[in-house]
Amino acid sequence: MKKVNIIMRMLLKEKKDVLLSVVFGFIAGLTAVGLFSASGYLISQAALAPPIYTLMVIVAMVKLLGITSAISRYGERYFSHRGTFTMLKNLRVYVYDKIEPLAASLLQRYRSGEVLARIVGDVESLQHFFLRVFYPPIVLVTVMLTTIVFTTVFSFGAAVTIFFGMILLVFIMPWIFLLLQGRLASSVRKQRGELSSEFTDYLYGFQELTIYQKAETKQQQLFTVMERYEQEKLRENRRRAVREAVLIFLSFLLALIVLVQVSFYVTTGSLSGILLAMLFMIALTVFEDIPSMAAFPAYLEESKQASERLSQVWEGDQEPKGTLRELDTTEALTYRLDNVSLCYPNQALPSVEGVSFNIPQGSKTAIVGASGSGKSTLMQAMLGFLPVVKGQLLVNDTPIETWGKESLWRQLNVSLQQNHFFFGTVHDNIALANPEAGEETIREALAKVHLEHLSLNDHVQENGANLSGGEKQRLALARLLIYPAQTWLLDEPTSSLDAITEEQIMDQLYQQTTAATFIIIRHRLVGLEKMDQIIVMDQGKVVETGTYQELISKKNGYFQKMKQLEDQQIQW
Amino acid sequence: MLKAFMTTFRSKLVVMLLCSILMAVAIVVQAFLIVSIIDQIFLQSAAFHAIMLPIAMVILALLLRIIFQYGVTYQGIKMAQLAKLDMRKQLLGHFTNQPIPEANKGQSGEKASLFMDTVDEMDAYFSQYLPQVIQSIVITATLLIVIFVEHWASALIILITAPFIPIFMIIIGFKTKDTSKEQLSVLASFSGIFLDTLQGLPSLKLLGRSKDQREKIAESSNQFREATMKVLQIAFTNSLALEFISMLSIGLVALEIAIRMIIFENVSFSVGFLILLLAPELFNQLKQLGSAFHTGRASMGAASRIEETFSQAATPMKWGNTSLAADQIPVLSLDQASFCYEQGNFRLEPISLSIQPNEQIAIIGKTGSGKSTLLHLLAGLLPVTSGSYQMDGVSQYNVKKASWFQKISYVSQQPYLISGTVRDNILLGVEQVYSDHEIKAVSERAGIWDWIYQLTDGLDTEIGEGGRGLSGGEKQRITLARAFLKRPAIIFFDEPTTGLDIQTEQILQVSMELLSKQATIITVAHRLHTIREADQILLLDQGRLMAQGTHQQLLQKSQIYQQMIRAQQGGGRT
Repeated sequence: MKKVNIIMRMLLKEKKDVLLSVVFGFIAGLTAVGLFSASGYLISQAALAPPIYTLMVIVAMVKLLGITSAISRYGERYFSHRGTFTMLKNLRVYVYDKIEPLAASLLQRYRSGEVLARIVGDVESLQHFFLRVFYPPIVLVTVMLTTIVFTTVFSFGAAVTIFFGMILLVFIMPWIFLLLQGRLASSVRKQRGELSSEFTDYLYGFQELTIYQKAETKQQQLFTVMERYEQEKLRENRRRAVREAVLIFLSFLLALIVLVQVSFYVTTGSLSGILLAMLFMIALTVFEDIPSMAAFPAYLEESKQASERLSQVWEGDQEPKGTLRELDTTEALTYRLDNVSLCYPNQALPSVEGVSFNIPQGSKTAIVGASGSGKSTLMQAMLGFLPVVKGQLLVNDTPIETWGKESLWRQLNVSLQQNHFFFGTVHDNIALANPEAGEETIREALAKVHLEHLSLNDHVQENGANLSGGEKQRLALARLLIYPAQTWLLDEPTSSLDAITEEQIMDQLYQQTTAATFIIIRHRLVGLEKMDQIIVMDQGKVVETGTYQELISKKNGYFQKMKQLEDQQIQW
Repeated sequence: MLKAFMTTFRSKLVVMLLCSILMAVAIVVQAFLIVSIIDQIFLQSAAFHAIMLPIAMVILALLLRIIFQYGVTYQGIKMAQLAKLDMRKQLLGHFTNQPIPEANKGQSGEKASLFMDTVDEMDAYFSQYLPQVIQSIVITATLLIVIFVEHWASALIILITAPFIPIFMIIIGFKTKDTSKEQLSVLASFSGIFLDTLQGLPSLKLLGRSKDQREKIAESSNQFREATMKVLQIAFTNSLALEFISMLSIGLVALEIAIRMIIFENVSFSVGFLILLLAPELFNQLKQLGSAFHTGRASMGAASRIEETFSQAATPMKWGNTSLAADQIPVLSLDQASFCYEQGNFRLEPISLSIQPNEQIAIIGKTGSGKSTLLHLLAGLLPVTSGSYQMDGVSQYNVKKASWFQKISYVSQQPYLISGTVRDNILLGVEQVYSDHEIKAVSERAGIWDWIYQLTDGLDTEIGEGGRGLSGGEKQRITLARAFLKRPAIIFFDEPTTGLDIQTEQILQVSMELLSKQATIITVAHRLHTIREADQILLLDQGRLMAQGTHQQLLQKSQIYQQMIRAQQGGGRT
């Protein structure tokens, strides 16, 4: 159970629902056994032509048991599902709490959204744990034990047989299945992953593959992977069917053994024949729910893997605590980089190497360079998202690692290359930056970024899916305009805008940031004349620094060549 | 579409049906034997050894029942496998047949989900729903017949009460269908919120708002729970009703039998017990049928989504059997050729033009003017909707696909690397064997050799999907190396707009000049330089060819062109 400790912890929080599900399940199971054994007794009694009132009593009992059973079954289902969804909620909050402090480093490690989707999927799949793994065996065993105790009243021998049957079917068989299952489940998942990536690969490369006449080969390859996956899936399905068949066979066989055993007692005269049908019915019903255990190993395995994968996400990844200092100032920050090298995890070569520059308080800096030259990586480090491998990155003359990250971010107005927008309204998404901001302030901010046409109540889809790239960029800036930070770090905040809007919005920003330290990554080289310094990067290194005038007049300079190239570009 | 499979799987369905019938027979035989065993011991005081044979027979019957049941399930599983394979092949064929505009790439997530998840959802239809339906119907019918033969009154009671199950379900179903549909869409949006929040964590942290979101997650999860419970409650009430009805029915059957046995004494113990064994089995099958319908419905939904995709068929590219002359650059000509996408309203208006060997063509225009569409049309990646496209005087429809693609290279803005080694990627699409020496030569020309040389595994380094990440410039140079090796007669070139480093830019320019000496080059141009040097400029606006000619000619006759050049010379500060 150690491997599923996350979900176990959640389970224990919902004791009431867990208990109610088990209790109702127990009553439902027991009354079902009672119902069938009573009807077996009824029919045997009837054969002996007893007085009619005994029959009435039994019939009434059967009805009562039937109704109780049905209602308890309802209660069991209700509480077990309610409990499951409450657990799911707790689990989400728990996972969020775990991931939240690690967001920065997590972002680096898992740059694709796929991993986040996997986390969400794992959380979802853990809902099966309670419903299919945890409580059904408990209910089964308690029902069985009670039945066994009840049976001892009539036949100790039959009770012993049922007991061993229980040991075999509830404990030994699932364990054997679990052993046999081995890696099969993960193998199906692996094949599926392979098929999925082969397919995406094919889809993305279809144009090239057609031109280079490799489409057919690739398609054949895809077919092979497809067949492998389906073969694996078939094997999994087949195993499930076999397991189910084996369990049905064994549970019925056990009822037969009880029948033979009890028949023997009856023929030897140690037991009344009238109990024969009843005891057989008890044995038959008590094992009736056993086949549902066929799915147990698969669900257990799934829960284990999901639980393990989840804890791997945050294991050994604790934020350093203790010696951090709070960065508490109302003034603009300074940055100084001293021979800084940066490297993404899982990558051998550094993305940024030996970079040094100085950003004084209130200065305006632009960082330019080709895509992949290390600009954004540099920015990640300046936000404290990416650790400095070599050299020193100083904020207000103190190494960045010393500052509490939350306190650093409070000083910053940041626009990332990808800003996230949440399911909700335009207002919600902007007010995130400053919940105290009034509607008027937000409307003003929208006007400043030329988004007057949006209403505050306009709907925003998950991940801002209904917004264009340009709208997202401007909304991100609107967010910053309502928050009074004195240090701005912007990563290509206007790259999706047309040149005219870009210039207008940039002017707006300059007006608002006269006293602020302002650092901007740009890919277009227009409007850089106002900058105090321009840092030019190429392949992870700073190749030039200077003002616009200095750089543009430098013969054969990198910046000057970039500018020349840009002038060659047609602007429509 | 699922019906179409039924014809293909006819023999499997027959086997399934046979297995179900045999299974039902085994169940009945089993019940008869058990009743006779108990009857013998209980009422006829038979000796213990007398029941040994019937016990052996019960075990045999049980074994057969299990085997037939497995038979039914196995047929279903096999059908699921074949159906999914077939479905995926059809889908692949469908995607492949569609022309490849750039826009298609955007929907790849959707397509992948259709190809993986939706097809997988159909599994349950064959592996669970179908076997259960056939099995349940056959067994219910068989049991009903047996009960009828043994004691018609019980069968009558069952016949009268059982239909209440579907009727009751329909009544509840009608009342709740709309609400549950509504709920389900709410559910879908809830489960997305968690992912949405996780994805937005970096933004939230920077805004100092990540703590508040905790509450939002808890709250939305609670709402999720309430909504789900509402839907589930309906399902639970359904099964409660079902349970009550079956209870009522079995109770009535038992009562009737008991009264007959005691008061009228015209029903024997064995008949009574048999019916008491069979009746619950019958209702069990009905219950399972009910839950099978639930699974079936989800699968049917998946099937109809796939069907929808098939209905959006686009005209596929057609090719013929005429080979183009080797070692000769074909003359390309469009005659009133137009193109329009089946979906969307963009249309490339009829264009006529002719491209001579070794010409340099520049296609220019604003975003959305149809530049890429024209490039795709000329590259044979999109079919002409009307008019004709001729290669060396042969209609494109009659040209052999392989002989055309052998002649061309396509250098795109976002080059695609296949999963494989650097060598695989450079050799992509060439038939001959090349020595490392030759590969080195083209890599040097494409300015990528130094990069390859410093890799530990050199040419054998794995790149592409899952392999080592490459920068845009590096990818671009690999595609250039490909082009040098292939020595194409025609090069289609989508000139990069931004983001390349100066070195790659220079390499690209020099390489293109080199390649143009032996090939026709058709460029979607963003560089003034490329446009000035072009033998023919094709100026597009809103899907229309507005002007055609050299730089000098267009300067004289095209106003749009003049404006464009003037804006450019205005210092780039537009």
